[in-house]
Amino acid sequence: MKKQLTILAIESSCDETAAAVLSGSRYMLHDTGHSFKILSNCVSSQVQVHAKYGGVVPEVAARLHIEKILPMIQLALKQAKKKIAEIDYIAVTAGPGLMSSLMIGTETAKTLALALNKQLIRINHIEGHLLSITEQLEFPAVGLVVSGGHTQIILVKDYLKYKLIGETRDDAAGEAFDKVAKILGLGYPGGPAISVAAAKVESVKSIPGIEIKLPRPMLDKVGFEMSFSGLKTSVLYKWNELVKILSPENLDKARNLMAYEFQKAVVEVLVAKTAAAALKFKAKTIVLGGGVSANKWLRSEMLRVISEKLPDVNVLMPEMKMAGDNAAMIAQAAYFHVLKKDFIEPTKLKPDPGWELVS
Amino acid sequence: MKVITKNEQQTIKLGEKFGQTLKGGEVVLLVGDLGAGKTTFVKGVAKALGVKRVVNSPTFVLMKIYVIKNKELRITNLIHIDTYRGLDIGDLKNIGAVEYFKRKDCVSFVEWGESLEDYLKKEKINFKKIVIKNISETKREFNFIE
Repeated sequence: MKKQLTILAIESSCDETAAAVLSGSRYMLHDTGHSFKILSNCVSSQVQVHAKYGGVVPEVAARLHIEKILPMIQLALKQAKKKIAEIDYIAVTAGPGLMSSLMIGTETAKTLALALNKQLIRINHIEGHLLSITEQLEFPAVGLVVSGGHTQIILVKDYLKYKLIGETRDDAAGEAFDKVAKILGLGYPGGPAISVAAAKVESVKSIPGIEIKLPRPMLDKVGFEMSFSGLKTSVLYKWNELVKILSPENLDKARNLMAYEFQKAVVEVLVAKTAAAALKFKAKTIVLGGGVSANKWLRSEMLRVISEKLPDVNVLMPEMKMAGDNAAMIAQAAYFHVLKKDFIEPTKLKPDPGWELVS
Repeated sequence: MKVITKNEQQTIKLGEKFGQTLKGGEVVLLVGDLGAGKTTFVKGVAKALGVKRVVNSPTFVLMKIYVIKNKELRITNLIHIDTYRGLDIGDLKNIGAVEYFKRKDCVSFVEWGESLEDYLKKEKINFKKIVIKNISETKREFNFIE
């Protein structure tokens, strides 16, 4: 058997069509020194198309996935300087996500695996986000996966051993960003729009006579559950009041202040819950993943709080291009499944929109 | 029938009571603004049906399916759908949601469901409508329409 292995990974769970090629060394799962390298990481984003709908429209997403998936695979192979025959394994996201989007990726991967007679690996999208960093994890690790669709704290006891220990009771953090951005008239996607508005606050931190203060949901509760729906409702009510009483100029200031305070509230809860989980489970590593992990405020606050409270815990964060949905993270997760020889018969692979990551 | 709830807990309780009346095959459209408590109400319904998993917002994945293992009930699945992103009936067919509306062993709750009314009437699928009004930051009015 060759010492090097090559994986082609495909991701299409939501509104990004992505393909990536990974080259890694063939070791046993627990041997030290296994290493891998991402040779290409190609993403075609539909976000501009969906912006006018204020969210992802499945019919549109599926159609665009069909258009883009083969060009993305070809591009990933070309950038990696690999021929399709040189690929050893095919990996694909099988859930969670949108059914009609997942199907495009899984059907493509199945077809390739059957036609090329390669082994197939199905990857959970959340697992991809957890393994979107290139550093080695030290166990136990606590992972925070935050995106438009997910807000979960996961205990990683070992490679491929996961336990969900906390999640949002209502809206995902990214979803709350989107909805609050809509309330404030800041556009889609909400995460970057809120961050940009919040960053304008530095100079003017208050408007005379107006206090903008939001609650910190679940912060004082024991456990790792989170909630962001009430925060959204608070923004809605406070904003509607401000619209009635403020001049247009002050309203612009208030909009930025609201974005600032909202972002601060969300980040405070995410960081506090992650820190509490790390403390309870004696984590050696905290790992972040998902679109919201690109948020600069979240990154800096996580580093600040953990270095203060848990100085021995190492915080790992994905590179910006690995935070959002991509196929390189799927390839990285697949690498560990290959080492464990965890494959699936192509004919048995089915997308699972609600696939919960447990092991 | 109109019911006022004063807080989140009361909304969950109301959902729970409503959940206890379900027999299977119901399609319920939930109508109300952002933050009205649509998901909160479904949490109560899920509790009544014995769902153990956390019921959270389906906005992103559009549809969540909760399996019900209560042998005393005819209901085997709670379907929680969200059309917030402007999904139309074509989209719902696409994700397989419409098939559940006709199943007697499923109950379906559709957030922002007002856009489905015409389709359901045309297809002669019975549905209930619950219109939720925000009265204050925590207070809500639930109007149950058969």
